[in-house]
Amino acid sequence: MKVFHIYYRNTQGTLMRILTAVSRRGIEITYLHAAASENGHRLDLLLEVNPKQIGQLCRDWHAIVDVSDVRVGVPTVEMLDGTGEMSGPQPPVAAGRRSAGAAMA
Amino acid sequence: MLRGAEIFLACLRAEGVELVFGYPGGAIMPLYDALEGSGIRHVLTRHEQGAVFAAEGHARATGQVGVAIATSGPGATNLVTGIADAKMDSVPLVCITGQVRSALIGTDAFQETDVFGLTLSLTKWSRLVRSIEEIPEVIAEGFHWAREGRPGPVVIDIPTDFLKAKMEFSGPAKFTPKRRPQDVNGKGAFAHVISLLGTAARPVALVGAGAKLSGAIGELRQLLDALNVPAFATVHGLGAVPPTAPYYLGMVGMHGTRAANMALHETDLLLVFGARLDDRVTGDPTRFAPKARIVHFEVDPAQLDRVRSCEVPIVGDLAQTVPAFHKRISNAKLPDWTNWRGVACGPDRAELDPRGLAQPTIRFLDELFGRLPENSVILADVGQHQMWAAQRYRSALPRGFITSGGLGAMGFALPAAIGVQLSRPDATVLCVSGDGGFQMNIQELATVRRLNLPIKMVIVDNKYLGMVRQWQQLFYHRNYAETDLSDNPDFVEIAKAYRISASRLCEDAMSEYPVTKETGEAFERFLGSAEPELLVFDCAPEANVYPMVPAGAALSEMLFEEE
Repeated sequence: MKVFHIYYRNTQGTLMRILTAVSRRGIEITYLHAAASENGHRLDLLLEVNPKQIGQLCRDWHAIVDVSDVRVGVPTVEMLDGTGEMSGPQPPVAAGRRSAGAAMA
Repeated sequence: MLRGAEIFLACLRAEGVELVFGYPGGAIMPLYDALEGSGIRHVLTRHEQGAVFAAEGHARATGQVGVAIATSGPGATNLVTGIADAKMDSVPLVCITGQVRSALIGTDAFQETDVFGLTLSLTKWSRLVRSIEEIPEVIAEGFHWAREGRPGPVVIDIPTDFLKAKMEFSGPAKFTPKRRPQDVNGKGAFAHVISLLGTAARPVALVGAGAKLSGAIGELRQLLDALNVPAFATVHGLGAVPPTAPYYLGMVGMHGTRAANMALHETDLLLVFGARLDDRVTGDPTRFAPKARIVHFEVDPAQLDRVRSCEVPIVGDLAQTVPAFHKRISNAKLPDWTNWRGVACGPDRAELDPRGLAQPTIRFLDELFGRLPENSVILADVGQHQMWAAQRYRSALPRGFITSGGLGAMGFALPAAIGVQLSRPDATVLCVSGDGGFQMNIQELATVRRLNLPIKMVIVDNKYLGMVRQWQQLFYHRNYAETDLSDNPDFVEIAKAYRISASRLCEDAMSEYPVTKETGEAFERFLGSAEPELLVFDCAPEANVYPMVPAGAALSEMLFEEE
């Protein structure tokens, strides 16, 4: 498992381009957290990758126009404890039919 | 006050755009309404894919940014193959797609598609314009990224209401990138390369598209002359090294020459200039250049270490790095590689499959190429004919051979030839297609006729999806599943229906070599016409392209005949 910290300007599509570099390789995203940071935004990704993929991903990310830096780090306990589920705020569970009906009554 | 459409076109003009290719539709109609008087010539193709390939042809022939325009929904989705092609082959391209009214975005409105999302992984940069005020800065930034570093495709998606809106226009914007190009070359990189050259016994040079895209051809040729090591080219590097150079070994890779492939397999030092070492060049990457240390001159850091680690990356525009390196080695004492050149370039390796020239289609292409004037541009579609054409290409014109290499998109050549001929009106443009690929954008014969473009179109008609059939023959026990095209229409009659003159030549005409006077006259009539012409070459169905490196094999494991 490797942690990647990707620093980027939050322009249209940049976050999606970063994630697409992962998804096109069929790599699962074990942990993900994106937030504003000092000079833009930072995305933390925890991925199960082999050494060749580390180099490929870093080079692909660096090639994205609004990515300013990529660093490889060490997973924190929190990241590893959260493996198997996405961390961070989750959208509300979809309302069931009964509660939707009640809301419209 | 100007309409958004007028502002858009004025900004395109400010970027130097004089020629665009496109197909109108609902969402993009306001832009078309503003074309007259804009100073931009619009070429109407008959399919959006034709438009984007034509824009690519223009870009590939000139180095300028190609521009394609389409409407929303299916118009935009029809551009996707061309966008992918531009990405793979580093073509500067700006695609402008109309989008539904901004208030309707996300509602699955009529002819709405998320073209921004669709093309994210295929574009260097893209934008959904969010207001009329954004138009100038979006265009300025889009063109910057299309051209910068390794060129590539950009999509600008513009909702129709912003094209109709009005605002005061103070002039086009200028874009200054926030991100600075990375200088990743360590100090001493050149010294390291010179040290490697000093101990190399079998150095070689591989030249790719980047050498041409950078405009560094002159400098690179001087460097190669100085080094005097065996050199070869990828399919996109053809023309970068003069074929008459005594150290030039031809094309390398899956259908490369024996000399080039063996030299690459045996080298102990590989200098790569603007090539990305894709799998068609390397064969099995684990057995690629097994004894070599690699020095990689490349503008795009993402291409380094992708397939094999390089010992010395030299990152930057070859227009700067090549002359700088040449200056550094001008006083260096390099080994004498005479023996190695003798082995690599010697007569027992000098030619591809010795039977090659007995093959009628190869003779046909050889004869045709030999009769072309010097400033000609040859386009090849995708398939066996493409590889034969690449093998027989003998010009030193850097932008003289154009094909869809990385994506291998059939149907590329005919529309691309339209873009090339419009950009190079004085050049003879020869467009070579197979019978399968020609039918994929056959509708563009209408564009050729309307514009009276004197393109010389050849169909190598073997009545098969030839390259797939070859693989089925060699690797699938001759199970020719769904590759039979024996019920092709009469292409001569189709051309005549488009009011284009057409003729046919059978491969028997190539049985005598040199060709007979009658056959020679047929070639001259075809090439000498001031009109568009189609020549259908009827050839044997089961000829194969050799040499061939099977998928997963090393470059040294070429096939020379059917096994």
